Amino acid sequence: MSMTSESTQSQNASFGGVQARAHAAMNAARISIRNLDFFYGDHRALKGIALDLPDRQVTGMIGPSGCGKSTLLRVLNRMYDLYPGQHATGEVMMDGDNIIDPKMDLNALRARIGMVFQKPTPFPMTIAENIAFGVKLHERLSKSAMEERIEWSLTRAALWGEVKDRLQTSAMGLSGGQQQRLCIARTIAVRPEVILLDEPTSALDPISTLKIEELIDELKHDFTIAIVTHNMQQAARCADQVAFFYLGEMVECAPAAQIFTSPKQKRTQEYVTGRFG
Amino acid sequence: MSASMTSGSVPGPAKDLKVARALGTRRHLTNTVVKALCIAATVLGLVLLGSILFTLIWRGAAGLSLTVFTHTTKPPGSNGGLLNAIVGTLIQTAAGTVIGTPIGLMVGTYLAEYGRNSPLANAVRFVSDVLLSAPSILIGLFVYEIAVEPFGGFSGIAGCIALAIIVIPIVVRTTEDMLRLITPALREAAIGLGAPKWKVIVLICYRAAMDGIVTGVLLAIARIAGETAPLLFTSLGNLNWSVSLKQPMASLPVTIYQYAGSAFDDWVQLAWVGALLITFGVLAINIAARLVLSRGK
Amino acid sequence: MSDSTEHLVKSFDNELKRLRDMLTEMGGIVESQVASAAEAIMNRDSNAATRAVEEDPKVDALEREVEQFVIRMLALRQPMAGDLRRIVAALKITGDLERIGDYAANVAKRSIVLAQFNLPYSLAGLAHMAHLVQEQLKLIIDALGSNDTAKAIEVWRSDRVVDDIYNALFRELITYMMEDPRNITPCTHLLFIAKNLERIGDHATNIAETVYYAVEGEVIPDVRPKGDTSAYAVVRPKD
Repeated sequence: MSMTSESTQSQNASFGGVQARAHAAMNAARISIRNLDFFYGDHRALKGIALDLPDRQVTGMIGPSGCGKSTLLRVLNRMYDLYPGQHATGEVMMDGDNIIDPKMDLNALRARIGMVFQKPTPFPMTIAENIAFGVKLHERLSKSAMEERIEWSLTRAALWGEVKDRLQTSAMGLSGGQQQRLCIARTIAVRPEVILLDEPTSALDPISTLKIEELIDELKHDFTIAIVTHNMQQAARCADQVAFFYLGEMVECAPAAQIFTSPKQKRTQEYVTGRFG
Repeated sequence: MSASMTSGSVPGPAKDLKVARALGTRRHLTNTVVKALCIAATVLGLVLLGSILFTLIWRGAAGLSLTVFTHTTKPPGSNGGLLNAIVGTLIQTAAGTVIGTPIGLMVGTYLAEYGRNSPLANAVRFVSDVLLSAPSILIGLFVYEIAVEPFGGFSGIAGCIALAIIVIPIVVRTTEDMLRLITPALREAAIGLGAPKWKVIVLICYRAAMDGIVTGVLLAIARIAGETAPLLFTSLGNLNWSVSLKQPMASLPVTIYQYAGSAFDDWVQLAWVGALLITFGVLAINIAARLVLSRGK
Repeated sequence: MSDSTEHLVKSFDNELKRLRDMLTEMGGIVESQVASAAEAIMNRDSNAATRAVEEDPKVDALEREVEQFVIRMLALRQPMAGDLRRIVAALKITGDLERIGDYAANVAKRSIVLAQFNLPYSLAGLAHMAHLVQEQLKLIIDALGSNDTAKAIEVWRSDRVVDDIYNALFRELITYMMEDPRNITPCTHLLFIAKNLERIGDHATNIAETVYYAVEGEVIPDVRPKGDTSAYAVVRPKD
C-alpha cells in the first residue's frame, strides 16, 4: 500500500503531460500561405486561408470531402492552371516568390514542388524510364549518373530491393503499393523541396499503406511534406501538424497531438470524434 | 428480438406473397419470350453471314491459282490474273493510310488535348463525324472535282487522296477517344514533374493510348481496302500493268465491280477470287486489330 | 467543450453511456463503503464494518470490467479528442475508485480491532475528517456523472482542509502514545485510519483532476494544494 501521495500525483501529471509535448516548437515555414482565396469559376472554394508548412515537417490536411484540402494542394504546385476558369488570389510565399504569381515559371516550380496522387500513376514505360522521365526534364545526366540517380531515388522510396532486377520491365506490372512507391521515387528523383501527397494510400491495402507511412516518416528528414488524407489515424500517425478544413475554410491548425487529444474548435472536435452532422 | 427471429417474419411492411408470385411468373414469361427473339435474330444474322462467306469461299477457291498472283488482267479467255489490281490496291491503301493517319492523329490530338470543348473543336468534331458517315461516293466526286478534272485525267494519286480522306475521320475519332480515356491523373502526374504539355502528349499520352490508336488505324486500313465508290471517279482502274501514280491505277474493288457484271465466265470467276482476297485481307487486319487491343489488357 | 451532438455511429454513444454508468455505479458502491467504514468507527458498529469489507470484491470486479471495456473501445473505436480523453479518464478513475474501496475496507477492518479498546479521548477530529472526505467523494461522483468541472475544482481545492486535519491528528495521536504506552495499539490503528482517509481524499482529488482534463482538454491551471506535512512532523516528549 502506497504511503506517499507524490506517486499518484505524478501519475496524474503525466496524463495531461501530452500537452507539453503537443506544443513542441515547429520549424520555420518553408511555404507560407496568407489570405489565399481560390475560385472554380464563381464558386469560392478556399476562403482566406492562412497556413505555414514548416520546413522538413509533415503537415496533414483533414476534413470532409469538398472542404478544399485537395484544392489547396493543387494551388501549391499550380496544377489548377491546367483548367480554364480556375484562379487563386492571395499570397503563397516560398523563398520570397509568390507561387500564384501568373509570371511564375511553372515547370521550374513543379521541379521544386512534387506531387503524388491518390491512385498510382505509373507512366506506360519501364521502371527505369519512369524515374528518368522527370530527371531528364530538368537535368542532363550521363548514363552512369542517371543510373545512380535511379538507384538513389528507388532506395529512398524503399523500392530498390524489390525492383533492382527488373528495372527494364514495364512499371505497369508492379503491384498497387509498389506503383505508388515508384511514383514517390519518381517525384523525389527530381529532388524537390516540397512533396505534396494527395490521399496517397486511399487505393492501397493496409500493409502497403504502412510502408508508405514509414516512408513519409523517413522522407521528412529531407523534404517538407504536405499530405491530404481522409484517414484520421493516418494523419495522427504521420503528421507533425494537422490542419482541419471545413467548407473552404481552415478551421484549426495545431500540432497533431493537440488536434487529436484537445482540439480548440468545436467543429474540429466534432469531426475527429465522428460527430459530424 | 428472439421472438421475431424464430417466427421467421421479415421486418417492415407486410408482403403479399400471392402478388409477388404472380409478378414473378409474368417476369419469367417475358424473359423467355425476349430471350427467344434474341436468339432467333442472332441465328438469322449468323446464317446470312455464314452463307455469304461460304458462297465466297466456294466460288472463289475454285478459281484460286498461282496465275491470279502472277498475271495481270487480260482480255476474256486469255488466262489473265489480278496482279495489277492487287498491287494497285496495296499501293493506294498504303498511300491513303500514310497521308491520312498523321493528319487524323494531329486533329484527334487537337480535339482531345487542346481544343476540348471550344467552339472550334466542336465544329471540327462535328465535321469529322459527318465525314465519318458520309457516303464514300461523295468523297470520290469531291476528289474528282479537285484532283482529276483540274489535272486532266484519272490518276492513282487521286485515288490515294480519296482514300486518305476516308482514313482521316476514323483516325480522328479513335485518337480522340483513346486520348480522352487516359485518366487526367496521368497527365497531371507528368505535368507535376515539370513536363511541358507537348512532352506529356508525345511521351506519355501517345504511349498510353498507343494500342487504341493502332487499332483505329488498322480498322481504317480495313475500311479503305474494300472501298470501290471513291476510286471509280479517281483512279478509275487500269487493265494494264502500271504503278505510276500519275496514271489511272487498277484496284481489287473496282476490278471486281467491272468483272462481276461482265458476260465472261473467266472474268466472273476472277471477280470471285478478288472478293475472296479482299475479304480475307480485311479479316486478317481485323484480327490483327483485336490482338493489338487485347494485348493491352 | 460540449458534446451535445451525437456520434454518426449510435452504438458508440451507447458504449460511452455504458462506460459512464459503470463508473457511477462503482462510485456509488465506493461511497457507501466509505460511509459504512466511518459509521463502523464512530458507532463501534461491526455490522457496518462487515458491509464495507463485503462490498470490496464487487468494486474489484467492476474495475476489471471497466478496464476490459475501455481496452475494447480503444481497439474497436479508435477514439479521438474528447472521446479519447473520456475513455482514458475512465480507466484512470476506475483505478482511483478501486483504491478508495480498498482504503475503506482497511478502515472498516481496523474499526473492529479498535472496538476492543476503551478510548479515553474524543474522536471528533477523525469524525470531522471522515465527514469531509465523504463530502468530497459525493461531490466528485456527482461531477463524474455530469461532467461538471466546477464541482471538480471545488473538490480539488477542498483537499487542503483534509490534509490540515490529518496533520493535527497525527501530532495529537503521537502525543497520546507518549503519554501512555497502553495507547500505542489503538492510536496506531487510528493513525492508519486517518492516513487512509487522507489517501481517500487524495484519490478524490486525482479523480477531480482527471475529470477536469477529460472535459476541458487541459490540466487545471493552478498548482495542486499540498497539505500533508506529517512526513516532516517531529513531536518530542516533554521533559
